Amino acid sequence: DIDGVGHKYYLELELEDVLDKGRTVSCTAEVLYHLGSKSTAPDVQATVQGELRSTEEADKEFYNRVRSLPKELVAENIPDSHGNVPPELEPIHLLAWAASGYVTWQNSTESTKFHLAQVKHVKQVKRSDEDLQFDYVLLLHEMVSQEVLPWEVTVLWHPQRGARVSRERRQPGHA
Amino acid sequence: MRLPVLLAALVAVATCTETFVGHQVLRVVPKSDEELQKVQELQALEHLQLDFWLAPRGLGFPVDIRVPFPSLQPVKAHLEASGVSYSIMIEDVQALVDEEQTEMLRSSRRLPLDTNAFNYEAYHTLDEIYNFMDMLVAENPSLVSKLEIGRSTEDRPLYVLKFSTGGMNRPAIWIDTGIHSREWVTQASGVWFAKKIVQDHANNEGVASILETMDIFLEIVTNPDGFAFTHSKNRMWRKTRSKNSGSICVGVDPNRNWDAGFGDAGASGNPCMETYHGPYPNSEPEVKSIVDFVKSHGNIKAFISIHSYSQLLLYPYGYTSTPAPDQQELHELSAKAVAALSSLYGTKFKYGSIITTIYQASGSTIDWTYNQGIKYSFTFELRDTGRYGFLLPAKQIVPTAEETWLALKVIMEHARDNMY
Repeated sequence: DIDGVGHKYYLELELEDVLDKGRTVSCTAEVLYHLGSKSTAPDVQATVQGELRSTEEADKEFYNRVRSLPKELVAENIPDSHGNVPPELEPIHLLAWAASGYVTWQNSTESTKFHLAQVKHVKQVKRSDEDLQFDYVLLLHEMVSQEVLPWEVTVLWHPQRGARVSRERRQPGHA
Repeated sequence: MRLPVLLAALVAVATCTETFVGHQVLRVVPKSDEELQKVQELQALEHLQLDFWLAPRGLGFPVDIRVPFPSLQPVKAHLEASGVSYSIMIEDVQALVDEEQTEMLRSSRRLPLDTNAFNYEAYHTLDEIYNFMDMLVAENPSLVSKLEIGRSTEDRPLYVLKFSTGGMNRPAIWIDTGIHSREWVTQASGVWFAKKIVQDHANNEGVASILETMDIFLEIVTNPDGFAFTHSKNRMWRKTRSKNSGSICVGVDPNRNWDAGFGDAGASGNPCMETYHGPYPNSEPEVKSIVDFVKSHGNIKAFISIHSYSQLLLYPYGYTSTPAPDQQELHELSAKAVAALSSLYGTKFKYGSIITTIYQASGSTIDWTYNQGIKYSFTFELRDTGRYGFLLPAKQIVPTAEETWLALKVIMEHARDNMY
Protein backbone atom coordinates (compact mmCIF):
# COMPACT_ATOMS: atom_id res chain seq x y z
CA ASP A 1 0.00 0.00 0.00
CA ILE A 2 1.30 3.42 -0.88
CA ASP A 3 -0.75 6.00 1.00
CA GLY A 4 -2.50 8.46 -1.22
CA VAL A 5 -1.18 6.76 -4.36
CA GLY A 6 -2.40 3.20 -4.71
CA HIS A 7 -1.31 -0.45 -4.48
CA LYS A 8 2.01 -1.61 -5.83
CA TYR A 9 2.80 -5.23 -6.69
CA TYR A 10 6.28 -6.67 -7.18
CA LEU A 11 6.22 -9.68 -9.46
CA GLU A 12 8.68 -12.40 -10.40
CA LEU A 13 7.42 -14.16 -13.47
CA GLU A 14 8.49 -17.05 -15.64
CA LEU A 15 7.53 -16.58 -19.27
CA GLU A 16 6.96 -19.67 -21.37
CA ASP A 17 7.26 -19.60 -25.15
CA VAL A 18 3.93 -20.96 -26.34
CA LEU A 19 5.46 -22.08 -29.63
CA ASP A 20 8.51 -23.67 -28.04
CA LYS A 21 7.33 -25.29 -24.83
CA GLY A 22 10.08 -25.85 -22.34
CA ARG A 23 11.75 -22.63 -23.37
CA THR A 24 11.33 -20.20 -20.48
CA VAL A 25 12.72 -16.82 -19.58
CA SER A 26 12.53 -14.89 -16.29
CA CYS A 27 10.89 -11.54 -15.96
CA THR A 28 10.45 -9.06 -13.12
CA ALA A 29 7.74 -6.43 -13.05
CA GLU A 30 6.27 -3.68 -10.92
CA VAL A 31 2.59 -2.89 -11.26
CA LEU A 32 0.98 0.14 -9.66
CA TYR A 33 -2.82 0.33 -9.49
CA HIS A 34 -3.79 3.95 -8.95
CA LEU A 35 -6.03 4.72 -6.00
CA GLY A 36 -9.70 5.07 -6.83
CA SER A 37 -9.10 5.40 -10.55
CA LYS A 38 -11.04 3.03 -12.74
CA SER A 39 -10.20 4.93 -15.89
CA THR A 40 -6.42 4.98 -15.80
CA ALA A 41 -4.41 1.95 -16.71
CA PRO A 42 -2.07 0.62 -14.04
CA ASP A 43 1.59 1.64 -14.40
CA VAL A 44 3.74 -1.25 -15.50
CA GLN A 45 7.52 -1.56 -15.57
CA ALA A 46 8.87 -4.89 -16.76
CA THR A 47 12.35 -6.28 -17.38
CA VAL A 48 13.06 -9.51 -19.22
CA GLN A 49 16.13 -11.37 -18.04
CA GLY A 50 17.52 -13.25 -20.99
CA GLU A 51 16.81 -13.46 -24.68
CA LEU A 52 13.60 -14.02 -26.53
CA ARG A 53 13.72 -16.44 -29.46
CA SER A 54 14.31 -14.83 -32.84
CA THR A 55 11.26 -14.91 -35.10
CA GLU A 56 12.78 -13.06 -38.07
CA GLU A 57 12.21 -15.89 -40.60
CA ALA A 58 8.61 -16.49 -39.66
CA ASP A 59 7.86 -12.76 -39.44
CA LYS A 60 9.17 -12.16 -42.95
CA GLU A 61 7.26 -15.12 -44.35
CA PHE A 62 4.00 -13.96 -42.78
CA TYR A 63 4.52 -10.35 -43.87
CA ASN A 64 5.22 -11.31 -47.49
CA ARG A 65 2.34 -13.80 -47.58
CA VAL A 66 -0.19 -11.21 -46.40
CA ARG A 67 1.20 -8.45 -48.65
CA SER A 68 0.82 -10.68 -51.69
CA LEU A 69 -2.80 -11.74 -51.02
CA PRO A 70 -5.06 -10.78 -53.97
CA LYS A 71 -7.80 -9.57 -51.60
CA GLU A 72 -7.69 -8.20 -48.06
CA LEU A 73 -7.66 -10.97 -45.46
CA VAL A 74 -11.00 -11.55 -43.71
CA ALA A 75 -11.71 -14.24 -41.15
CA GLU A 76 -13.99 -14.99 -38.23
CA ASN A 77 -14.36 -17.29 -35.23
CA ILE A 78 -10.76 -18.07 -34.37
CA PRO A 79 -10.69 -20.61 -32.81
CA ASP A 80 -13.98 -22.09 -34.00
CA SER A 81 -16.53 -23.64 -31.63
CA HIS A 82 -14.46 -26.83 -31.44
CA GLY A 83 -11.19 -25.06 -30.63
CA ASN A 84 -9.72 -25.42 -34.12
CA VAL A 85 -7.47 -22.80 -35.72
CA PRO A 86 -6.56 -23.34 -39.40
CA PRO A 87 -2.72 -23.28 -39.60
CA GLU A 88 -2.62 -20.31 -42.00
CA LEU A 89 -4.60 -18.26 -39.49
CA GLU A 90 -2.40 -19.08 -36.51
CA PRO A 91 -0.29 -15.88 -36.85
CA ILE A 92 -3.53 -13.84 -36.92
CA HIS A 93 -4.57 -15.63 -33.75
CA LEU A 94 -1.21 -14.95 -32.06
CA LEU A 95 -1.30 -11.31 -33.08
CA ALA A 96 -4.77 -11.01 -31.56
CA TRP A 97 -3.47 -12.56 -28.39
CA ALA A 98 -0.65 -10.02 -28.16
CA ALA A 99 -3.09 -7.19 -28.82
CA SER A 100 -5.49 -8.50 -26.18
CA GLY A 101 -2.61 -8.31 -23.70
CA TYR A 102 -2.36 -4.60 -24.36
CA VAL A 103 -6.13 -4.14 -24.13
CA THR A 104 -6.17 -6.10 -20.87
CA TRP A 105 -3.47 -3.86 -19.45
CA GLN A 106 -5.33 -0.70 -20.43
CA ASN A 107 -8.59 -1.89 -18.87
CA SER A 108 -7.51 -3.80 -15.78
CA THR A 109 -8.21 -3.07 -12.15
CA GLU A 110 -7.42 -5.17 -9.11
CA SER A 111 -10.84 -6.82 -9.51
CA THR A 112 -10.68 -7.90 -13.13
CA LYS A 113 -9.19 -10.90 -14.87
CA PHE A 114 -9.34 -10.91 -18.66
CA HIS A 115 -8.66 -13.64 -21.18
CA LEU A 116 -9.05 -13.60 -24.94
CA ALA A 117 -12.04 -15.89 -25.54
CA GLN A 118 -12.16 -15.74 -29.33
CA VAL A 119 -11.36 -13.65 -32.38
CA LYS A 120 -14.90 -12.94 -33.52
CA HIS A 121 -13.92 -11.13 -36.69
CA VAL A 122 -10.77 -9.81 -38.34
CA LYS A 123 -10.44 -7.71 -41.45
CA GLN A 124 -7.22 -6.54 -43.02
CA VAL A 125 -7.13 -2.90 -44.04
CA LYS A 126 -4.76 -2.00 -46.87
CA ARG A 127 -2.36 0.81 -46.03
CA SER A 128 -0.16 3.07 -48.09
CA ASP A 129 2.77 2.68 -45.68
CA GLU A 130 4.72 -0.48 -44.84
CA ASP A 131 2.60 -1.59 -41.86
CA LEU A 132 -0.01 -4.33 -41.96
CA GLN A 133 -3.30 -3.25 -40.39
CA PHE A 134 -5.88 -5.61 -38.95
CA ASP A 135 -9.21 -4.45 -37.55
CA TYR A 136 -10.29 -7.04 -35.01
CA VAL A 137 -13.43 -7.67 -33.02
CA LEU A 138 -12.14 -9.66 -30.06
CA LEU A 139 -14.27 -11.39 -27.45
CA LEU A 140 -12.73 -10.80 -24.05
CA HIS A 141 -13.87 -13.00 -21.17
CA GLU A 142 -13.83 -11.23 -17.82
CA MET A 143 -13.59 -13.83 -15.06
CA VAL A 144 -15.17 -12.02 -12.09
CA SER A 145 -18.31 -10.84 -13.85
CA GLN A 146 -18.18 -13.77 -16.31
CA GLU A 147 -19.08 -11.35 -19.08
CA VAL A 148 -17.84 -11.96 -22.62
CA LEU A 149 -17.25 -8.50 -24.04
CA PRO A 150 -16.83 -7.64 -27.72
CA TRP A 151 -13.92 -5.29 -28.21
CA GLU A 152 -12.88 -3.41 -31.35
CA VAL A 153 -9.09 -3.39 -31.67
CA THR A 154 -6.97 -1.99 -34.50
CA VAL A 155 -3.53 -3.57 -34.70
CA LEU A 156 -0.60 -2.38 -36.78
CA TRP A 157 2.25 -4.81 -37.41
CA HIS A 158 5.59 -4.72 -39.15
CA PRO A 159 8.41 -7.30 -39.00
CA GLN A 160 10.90 -4.81 -37.58
CA ARG A 161 8.59 -2.42 -35.80
CA GLY A 162 6.51 -5.13 -34.13
CA ALA A 163 2.89 -4.86 -33.01
CA ARG A 164 1.09 -1.71 -31.93
CA VAL A 165 -2.53 -1.19 -30.93
CA SER A 166 -3.57 2.06 -32.54
CA ARG A 167 -7.18 1.99 -31.40
CA GLU A 168 -9.23 -0.02 -28.93
CA ARG A 169 -12.72 0.35 -27.55
CA ARG A 170 -15.42 -1.80 -26.09
CA GLN A 171 -18.00 -2.36 -28.83
CA PRO A 172 -21.02 -0.14 -28.15
CA GLY A 173 -24.49 -1.72 -27.77
CA HIS A 174 -25.18 -4.83 -25.71
CA ALA A 175 -25.53 -8.45 -26.86
CA MET B 1 -36.20 -32.96 -68.28
CA ARG B 2 -39.86 -32.21 -67.52
CA LEU B 3 -40.88 -35.42 -65.71
CA PRO B 4 -38.19 -35.47 -63.01
CA VAL B 5 -38.94 -31.84 -62.24
CA LEU B 6 -42.65 -32.55 -61.89
CA LEU B 7 -42.02 -35.58 -59.71
CA ALA B 8 -39.58 -33.70 -57.52
CA ALA B 9 -42.04 -30.86 -57.12
CA LEU B 10 -44.75 -33.32 -56.04
CA VAL B 11 -42.45 -34.98 -53.56
CA ALA B 12 -41.43 -31.57 -52.27
CA VAL B 13 -45.03 -30.54 -51.76
CA ALA B 14 -45.76 -33.83 -50.03
CA THR B 15 -42.77 -33.61 -47.71
CA CYS B 16 -42.71 -29.82 -47.35
CA THR B 17 -39.08 -29.56 -48.50
CA GLU B 18 -37.73 -27.26 -51.17
CA THR B 19 -36.23 -28.71 -54.32
CA PHE B 20 -33.77 -27.11 -56.70
CA VAL B 21 -33.90 -29.59 -59.57
CA GLY B 22 -32.98 -27.86 -62.79
CA HIS B 23 -32.17 -24.56 -61.09
CA GLN B 24 -29.07 -22.79 -62.36
CA VAL B 25 -26.88 -20.07 -60.90
CA LEU B 26 -25.94 -17.45 -63.46
CA ARG B 27 -23.22 -14.85 -63.08
CA VAL B 28 -23.39 -11.43 -64.73
CA VAL B 29 -20.63 -8.83 -64.41
CA PRO B 30 -22.19 -5.50 -65.54
CA LYS B 31 -19.69 -3.51 -67.57
CA SER B 32 -21.87 -0.48 -68.28
CA ASP B 33 -24.73 1.42 -66.72
CA GLU B 34 -27.10 -0.05 -69.31
CA GLU B 35 -26.06 -3.58 -68.37
CA LEU B 36 -26.43 -2.79 -64.68
CA GLN B 37 -29.92 -1.47 -65.33
CA LYS B 38 -30.92 -4.59 -67.20
CA VAL B 39 -29.86 -6.74 -64.27
CA GLN B 40 -31.64 -4.50 -61.79
CA GLU B 41 -34.80 -4.81 -63.88
CA LEU B 42 -34.74 -8.52 -63.20
CA GLN B 43 -34.90 -7.87 -59.46
CA ALA B 44 -38.29 -6.22 -59.86
CA LEU B 45 -39.85 -9.19 -61.69
CA GLU B 46 -41.15 -11.10 -58.66
CA HIS B 47 -42.96 -13.77 -60.63
CA LEU B 48 -39.59 -15.08 -61.82
CA GLN B 49 -38.78 -16.06 -58.19
CA LEU B 50 -35.13 -15.10 -58.65
CA ASP B 51 -32.80 -15.56 -55.69
CA PHE B 52 -29.87 -13.12 -55.79
CA TRP B 53 -26.91 -14.78 -54.11
CA LEU B 54 -24.87 -11.65 -54.91
CA ALA B 55 -27.00 -8.58 -55.43
CA PRO B 56 -26.07 -5.86 -57.94
CA ARG B 57 -23.51 -3.53 -56.30
CA GLY B 58 -22.03 -1.53 -59.15
CA LEU B 59 -19.97 -1.80 -62.31
CA GLY B 60 -17.44 -4.60 -62.30
CA PHE B 61 -18.97 -6.41 -59.31
CA PRO B 62 -20.33 -9.92 -59.99
CA VAL B 63 -24.07 -10.54 -59.71
CA ASP B 64 -24.98 -14.15 -58.94
CA ILE B 65 -28.57 -15.22 -59.50
CA ARG B 66 -30.21 -18.55 -58.71
CA VAL B 67 -32.82 -19.01 -61.43
CA PRO B 68 -35.60 -21.59 -60.95
CA PHE B 69 -36.05 -23.94 -63.87
CA PRO B 70 -39.26 -22.35 -65.26
CA SER B 71 -37.61 -18.90 -65.34
CA LEU B 72 -34.40 -19.96 -67.11
CA GLN B 73 -35.63 -19.32 -70.62
CA PRO B 74 -37.15 -15.84 -69.99
CA VAL B 75 -34.11 -14.68 -67.97
CA LYS B 76 -31.58 -15.81 -70.56
CA ALA B 77 -33.69 -14.29 -73.32
CA HIS B 78 -33.87 -10.95 -71.43
CA LEU B 79 -30.09 -10.86 -70.99
CA GLU B 80 -29.24 -12.00 -74.52
CA ALA B 81 -31.65 -9.50 -76.09
CA SER B 82 -29.76 -6.65 -74.40
CA GLY B 83 -26.34 -8.08 -75.23
CA VAL B 84 -25.56 -8.74 -71.56
CA SER B 85 -23.16 -11.67 -71.30
CA TYR B 86 -23.51 -14.19 -68.52
CA SER B 87 -21.90 -17.44 -67.46
CA ILE B 88 -23.46 -20.53 -65.88
CA MET B 89 -21.79 -20.95 -62.49
CA ILE B 90 -23.87 -23.91 -61.39
CA GLU B 91 -25.56 -26.14 -63.97
CA ASP B 92 -27.87 -27.88 -61.48
CA VAL B 93 -28.22 -26.62 -57.93
CA GLN B 94 -29.97 -29.79 -56.75
CA ALA B 95 -26.98 -31.89 -57.80
CA LEU B 96 -24.77 -29.84 -55.48
CA VAL B 97 -27.27 -30.10 -52.65
CA ASP B 98 -27.46 -33.87 -53.05
CA GLU B 99 -23.68 -34.12 -53.04
CA GLU B 100 -23.52 -32.14 -49.80
CA GLN B 101 -26.14 -34.38 -48.19
CA THR B 102 -24.13 -37.49 -49.07
CA GLU B 103 -21.00 -35.90 -47.70
CA MET B 104 -22.71 -34.97 -44.46
CA LEU B 105 -24.02 -38.47 -43.97
CA ARG B 106 -20.58 -39.88 -44.67
CA SER B 107 -18.93 -37.73 -42.02
CA SER B 108 -19.02 -38.49 -38.32
CA ARG B 109 -22.27 -36.63 -37.81
CA ARG B 110 -24.10 -39.85 -38.64
CA LEU B 111 -25.31 -41.52 -35.44
CA PRO B 112 -22.91 -44.24 -34.26
CA LEU B 113 -24.25 -47.76 -33.86
CA ASP B 114 -23.02 -48.32 -30.32
CA THR B 115 -21.01 -46.69 -27.54
CA ASN B 116 -17.82 -48.33 -28.80
CA ALA B 117 -18.20 -46.56 -32.14
CA PHE B 118 -19.01 -43.22 -30.47
CA ASN B 119 -16.34 -40.57 -31.01
CA TYR B 120 -15.20 -39.46 -27.54
CA GLU B 121 -12.60 -37.16 -29.09
CA ALA B 122 -15.12 -34.77 -30.58
CA TYR B 123 -17.74 -32.35 -29.35
CA HIS B 124 -21.33 -33.44 -29.90
CA THR B 125 -24.81 -31.99 -30.20
CA LEU B 126 -27.56 -32.47 -27.64
CA ASP B 127 -29.28 -35.10 -29.79
CA GLU B 128 -26.04 -37.04 -30.15
CA ILE B 129 -25.47 -37.05 -26.40
CA TYR B 130 -29.06 -38.06 -25.63
CA ASN B 131 -28.70 -40.84 -28.20
CA PHE B 132 -25.45 -41.93 -26.53
CA MET B 133 -27.27 -42.22 -23.20
CA ASP B 134 -29.94 -44.45 -24.68
CA MET B 135 -27.34 -46.68 -26.30
CA LEU B 136 -25.41 -46.99 -23.03
CA VAL B 137 -28.55 -48.01 -21.16
CA ALA B 138 -29.52 -50.48 -23.90
CA GLU B 139 -26.06 -52.06 -23.78
CA ASN B 140 -25.95 -52.31 -19.99
CA PRO B 141 -29.52 -52.63 -18.74
CA SER B 142 -28.63 -54.20 -15.43
CA LEU B 143 -26.13 -51.50 -14.48
CA VAL B 144 -27.40 -48.29 -16.08
CA SER B 145 -30.81 -46.64 -16.09
CA LYS B 146 -31.95 -43.23 -17.29
CA LEU B 147 -34.07 -41.04 -15.02
CA GLU B 148 -35.98 -37.95 -16.09
CA ILE B 149 -35.77 -35.61 -13.11
CA GLY B 150 -37.64 -32.71 -14.69
CA ARG B 151 -37.97 -30.55 -17.79
CA SER B 152 -36.11 -27.42 -18.76
CA THR B 153 -37.68 -24.00 -19.42
CA GLU B 154 -37.95 -24.88 -23.12
CA ASP B 155 -39.40 -28.26 -22.15
CA ARG B 156 -36.36 -30.39 -22.85
CA PRO B 157 -36.05 -33.49 -20.68
CA LEU B 158 -33.47 -33.37 -17.88
CA TYR B 159 -31.83 -36.79 -17.79
CA VAL B 160 -29.71 -38.40 -15.09
CA LEU B 161 -27.93 -41.70 -15.57
CA LYS B 162 -28.02 -44.00 -12.57
CA PHE B 163 -25.27 -46.58 -12.18
CA SER B 164 -26.19 -49.22 -9.61
CA THR B 165 -25.47 -52.85 -8.90
CA GLY B 166 -28.52 -53.19 -6.70
CA GLY B 167 -29.60 -52.51 -3.16
CA MET B 168 -32.25 -50.11 -1.96
CA ASN B 169 -31.43 -46.39 -1.97
CA ARG B 170 -27.72 -46.99 -1.41
CA PRO B 171 -25.46 -44.11 -0.34
CA ALA B 172 -24.73 -42.27 -3.56
CA ILE B 173 -22.36 -40.00 -5.43
CA TRP B 174 -23.70 -37.23 -7.66
CA ILE B 175 -21.76 -35.77 -10.59
CA ASP B 176 -23.06 -33.07 -12.91
CA THR B 177 -21.50 -31.53 -16.00
CA GLY B 178 -22.64 -28.77 -18.34
CA ILE B 179 -24.56 -26.60 -15.89
CA HIS B 180 -22.93 -23.68 -17.69
CA SER B 181 -23.57 -24.47 -21.31
CA ARG B 182 -20.50 -22.85 -22.92
CA GLU B 183 -18.15 -25.05 -20.87
CA TRP B 184 -18.16 -27.73 -23.58
CA VAL B 185 -15.28 -29.84 -22.25
CA THR B 186 -17.47 -30.67 -19.24
CA GLN B 187 -20.40 -32.27 -21.10
CA ALA B 188 -17.86 -34.07 -23.27
CA SER B 189 -16.08 -35.33 -20.15
CA GLY B 190 -19.40 -36.42 -18.67
CA VAL B 191 -19.98 -38.65 -21.69
CA TRP B 192 -16.52 -40.16 -21.22
CA PHE B 193 -17.16 -40.71 -17.48
CA ALA B 194 -20.36 -42.60 -18.27
CA LYS B 195 -18.56 -44.98 -20.59
CA LYS B 196 -15.68 -45.33 -18.14
CA ILE B 197 -17.97 -46.39 -15.30
CA VAL B 198 -19.45 -49.10 -17.49
CA GLN B 199 -16.01 -50.28 -18.61
CA ASP B 200 -14.61 -50.38 -15.06
CA HIS B 201 -17.59 -52.41 -13.96
CA ALA B 202 -17.20 -54.85 -16.84
CA ASN B 203 -13.48 -55.29 -16.11
CA ASN B 204 -13.94 -55.40 -12.34
CA GLU B 205 -11.46 -52.59 -11.79
CA GLY B 206 -11.45 -48.88 -10.91
CA VAL B 207 -14.87 -47.85 -9.63
CA ALA B 208 -16.21 -51.42 -9.69
CA SER B 209 -15.48 -51.69 -5.97
CA ILE B 210 -17.27 -48.41 -5.27
CA LEU B 211 -20.33 -49.70 -7.13
CA GLU B 212 -20.51 -52.66 -4.74
CA THR B 213 -21.77 -50.41 -1.97
CA MET B 214 -22.69 -47.10 -3.60
CA ASP B 215 -24.68 -45.76 -6.54
CA ILE B 216 -23.43 -43.10 -8.96
CA PHE B 217 -25.75 -40.49 -10.47
CA LEU B 218 -24.47 -38.56 -13.49
CA GLU B 219 -26.26 -35.63 -15.13
CA ILE B 220 -24.31 -34.98 -18.34
CA VAL B 221 -26.27 -32.07 -19.82
CA THR B 222 -27.49 -30.16 -16.81
CA ASN B 223 -28.51 -27.15 -18.89
CA PRO B 224 -29.83 -28.51 -22.22
CA ASP B 225 -31.52 -25.27 -23.33
CA GLY B 226 -28.28 -23.38 -22.94
CA PHE B 227 -26.37 -26.16 -24.64
CA ALA B 228 -28.68 -26.16 -27.66
CA PHE B 229 -28.24 -22.38 -27.82
CA THR B 230 -24.45 -22.67 -27.88
CA HIS B 231 -24.81 -24.84 -30.96
CA SER B 232 -27.44 -22.82 -32.77
CA LYS B 233 -26.85 -19.16 -31.92
CA ASN B 234 -24.18 -18.19 -29.42
CA ARG B 235 -21.24 -20.38 -28.50
CA MET B 236 -20.55 -18.17 -25.47
CA TRP B 237 -23.96 -18.65 -23.78
CA ARG B 238 -23.65 -19.52 -20.09
CA LYS B 239 -27.04 -19.23 -18.43
CA THR B 240 -30.43 -20.91 -18.74
CA ARG B 241 -32.89 -19.65 -21.36
CA SER B 242 -35.73 -18.51 -19.13
CA LYS B 243 -37.49 -15.25 -19.93
CA ASN B 244 -37.08 -12.52 -17.35
CA SER B 245 -40.22 -10.50 -16.78
CA GLY B 246 -39.74 -6.83 -17.40
CA SER B 247 -36.51 -7.34 -19.32
CA ILE B 248 -35.49 -8.17 -22.86
CA CYS B 249 -32.56 -10.12 -21.47
CA VAL B 250 -32.80 -13.89 -21.20
CA GLY B 251 -31.48 -16.41 -18.74
CA VAL B 252 -30.46 -16.99 -15.15
CA ASP B 253 -27.06 -18.14 -13.93
CA PRO B 254 -27.84 -21.66 -12.65
CA ASN B 255 -24.82 -21.45 -10.36
CA ARG B 256 -26.23 -18.44 -8.50
CA ASN B 257 -29.80 -19.70 -8.23
CA TRP B 258 -29.40 -22.04 -5.24
CA ASP B 259 -30.72 -21.31 -1.78
CA ALA B 260 -27.44 -20.55 -0.02
CA GLY B 261 -26.72 -16.90 0.54
CA PHE B 262 -29.12 -16.25 -2.35
CA GLY B 263 -28.93 -12.68 -3.61
CA ASP B 264 -25.96 -11.74 -1.44
CA ALA B 265 -22.83 -10.14 -2.86
CA GLY B 266 -21.34 -12.39 -5.47
CA ALA B 267 -24.31 -12.50 -7.82
CA SER B 268 -26.06 -9.90 -9.93
CA GLY B 269 -29.65 -8.67 -9.66
CA ASN B 270 -29.55 -7.55 -13.29
CA PRO B 271 -31.17 -10.01 -15.74
CA CYS B 272 -28.76 -8.88 -18.47
CA MET B 273 -25.70 -10.02 -16.54
CA GLU B 274 -24.01 -13.41 -16.73
CA THR B 275 -24.24 -13.92 -12.96
CA TYR B 276 -27.92 -12.97 -12.63
CA HIS B 277 -29.27 -14.97 -9.69
CA GLY B 278 -32.87 -15.08 -10.87
CA PRO B 279 -36.06 -13.79 -9.24
CA TYR B 280 -35.95 -16.25 -6.31
CA PRO B 281 -34.04 -19.40 -5.30
CA ASN B 282 -34.73 -22.47 -7.45
CA SER B 283 -36.66 -20.40 -9.97
CA GLU B 284 -34.88 -22.37 -12.67
CA PRO B 285 -36.31 -25.86 -13.37
CA GLU B 286 -32.77 -27.05 -14.09
CA VAL B 287 -31.88 -26.21 -10.48
CA LYS B 288 -35.21 -27.13 -8.85
CA SER B 289 -35.14 -30.61 -10.37
CA ILE B 290 -31.79 -31.35 -8.73
CA VAL B 291 -32.93 -29.87 -5.41
CA ASP B 292 -36.02 -32.09 -5.46
CA PHE B 293 -33.97 -35.12 -6.43
CA VAL B 294 -31.36 -34.61 -3.71
CA LYS B 295 -34.00 -34.04 -1.02
CA SER B 296 -36.11 -37.01 -1.97
CA HIS B 297 -33.12 -39.33 -2.35
CA GLY B 298 -31.84 -38.34 1.06
CA ASN B 299 -28.71 -40.48 0.91
CA ILE B 300 -26.24 -38.61 -1.26
CA LYS B 301 -22.78 -38.55 0.32
CA ALA B 302 -20.69 -36.74 -2.27
CA PHE B 303 -21.79 -34.06 -4.73
CA ILE B 304 -19.47 -32.89 -7.49
CA SER B 305 -20.41 -30.13 -9.94
CA ILE B 306 -18.11 -29.71 -12.92
CA HIS B 307 -17.23 -26.48 -14.73
CA SER B 308 -14.48 -25.07 -16.89
CA TYR B 309 -12.09 -23.27 -17.17
CA SER B 310 -9.30 -22.37 -14.69
CA GLN B 311 -7.94 -25.68 -13.39
CA LEU B 312 -9.24 -25.46 -9.84
CA LEU B 313 -10.73 -27.80 -7.25
CA LEU B 314 -13.06 -25.89 -4.94
CA TYR B 315 -15.06 -26.63 -1.79
CA PRO B 316 -17.57 -24.45 0.14
CA TYR B 317 -18.16 -21.66 0.84
CA GLY B 318 -18.51 -19.08 -1.89
CA TYR B 319 -21.09 -16.83 -0.25
CA THR B 320 -19.26 -16.28 3.02
CA SER B 321 -15.68 -16.19 4.24
CA THR B 322 -16.64 -18.16 7.34
CA PRO B 323 -14.73 -21.44 6.89
CA ALA B 324 -16.80 -24.56 6.38
CA PRO B 325 -16.80 -26.73 9.53
CA ASP B 326 -15.12 -29.56 7.57
CA GLN B 327 -12.63 -27.22 5.95
CA GLN B 328 -9.57 -29.16 7.10
CA GLU B 329 -10.74 -32.52 5.83
CA LEU B 330 -11.96 -31.03 2.55
CA HIS B 331 -8.65 -29.23 2.08
CA GLU B 332 -6.63 -32.40 2.65
CA LEU B 333 -8.89 -34.41 0.38
CA SER B 334 -8.51 -31.75 -2.31
CA ALA B 335 -4.75 -32.00 -2.07
CA LYS B 336 -4.92 -35.76 -2.67
CA ALA B 337 -7.38 -35.42 -5.52
CA VAL B 338 -5.30 -32.76 -7.25
CA ALA B 339 -2.12 -34.83 -6.87
CA ALA B 340 -3.85 -37.78 -8.51
CA LEU B 341 -5.08 -35.58 -11.36
CA SER B 342 -1.64 -34.15 -11.92
CA SER B 343 0.02 -37.55 -11.95
CA LEU B 344 -1.30 -38.34 -15.42
CA TYR B 345 -0.24 -35.42 -17.65
CA GLY B 346 1.29 -32.95 -15.19
CA THR B 347 -1.74 -30.65 -15.33
CA LYS B 348 -1.52 -28.23 -12.41
CA PHE B 349 -4.60 -27.44 -10.34
CA LYS B 350 -4.99 -25.00 -7.46
CA TYR B 351 -7.47 -25.76 -4.69
CA GLY B 352 -9.26 -24.16 -1.77
CA SER B 353 -12.62 -22.72 -0.81
CA ILE B 354 -14.55 -20.89 -3.53
CA ILE B 355 -14.31 -17.50 -1.84
CA THR B 356 -10.58 -17.63 -1.15
CA THR B 357 -9.57 -19.24 -4.42
CA ILE B 358 -11.77 -17.73 -7.11
CA TYR B 359 -14.17 -14.99 -5.94
CA GLN B 360 -17.21 -14.42 -3.80
CA ALA B 361 -20.17 -16.21 -5.34
CA SER B 362 -23.58 -16.43 -3.68
CA GLY B 363 -26.33 -18.94 -4.39
CA SER B 364 -23.88 -21.51 -5.74
CA THR B 365 -24.56 -25.22 -6.04
CA ILE B 366 -22.16 -26.77 -3.58
CA ASP B 367 -22.85 -24.21 -0.84
CA TRP B 368 -26.43 -25.45 -0.88
CA THR B 369 -25.56 -29.14 -1.06
CA TYR B 370 -23.04 -28.75 1.76
CA ASN B 371 -25.61 -27.01 3.94
CA GLN B 372 -27.94 -29.93 3.24
CA GLY B 373 -25.40 -32.13 4.98
CA ILE B 374 -23.54 -33.46 1.94
CA LYS B 375 -20.08 -33.15 3.39
CA TYR B 376 -18.08 -33.99 0.26
CA SER B 377 -19.30 -31.15 -1.92
CA PHE B 378 -16.82 -30.07 -4.60
CA THR B 379 -16.69 -27.98 -7.73
CA PHE B 380 -14.10 -28.58 -10.44
CA GLU B 381 -12.92 -26.04 -12.97
CA LEU B 382 -11.31 -28.12 -15.73
CA ARG B 383 -8.77 -27.19 -18.45
CA ASP B 384 -7.37 -24.82 -19.44
CA THR B 385 -6.14 -21.61 -17.74
CA GLY B 386 -7.08 -19.20 -20.52
CA ARG B 387 -5.17 -20.06 -23.68
CA TYR B 388 -8.28 -21.53 -25.31
CA GLY B 389 -10.68 -21.06 -22.40
CA PHE B 390 -14.14 -22.22 -23.36
CA LEU B 391 -12.96 -23.18 -26.86
CA LEU B 392 -10.74 -26.03 -25.71
CA PRO B 393 -9.54 -28.03 -28.73
CA ALA B 394 -11.39 -31.31 -29.06
CA LYS B 395 -8.18 -33.31 -28.90
CA GLN B 396 -7.90 -32.28 -25.24
CA ILE B 397 -11.27 -33.78 -24.29
CA VAL B 398 -10.05 -37.29 -23.52
CA PRO B 399 -6.87 -36.25 -21.63
CA THR B 400 -8.98 -33.83 -19.60
CA ALA B 401 -11.57 -36.49 -18.80
CA GLU B 402 -8.90 -39.07 -17.94
CA GLU B 403 -7.05 -36.86 -15.49
CA THR B 404 -10.24 -35.54 -13.91
CA TRP B 405 -11.48 -39.08 -13.42
CA LEU B 406 -8.46 -39.85 -11.24
CA ALA B 407 -9.39 -36.96 -8.94
CA LEU B 408 -13.05 -38.03 -8.88
CA LYS B 409 -12.01 -41.54 -7.86
CA VAL B 410 -10.04 -40.18 -4.91
CA ILE B 411 -13.10 -38.28 -3.73
CA MET B 412 -15.46 -41.22 -4.30
CA GLU B 413 -13.17 -43.67 -2.50
CA HIS B 414 -12.81 -41.30 0.43
CA ALA B 415 -16.58 -40.96 0.67
CA ARG B 416 -16.97 -44.71 0.61
CA ASP B 417 -14.28 -45.21 3.28
CA ASN B 418 -15.57 -42.44 5.52
CA MET B 419 -19.29 -43.11 5.61
CA TYR B 420 -21.27 -40.70 7.72
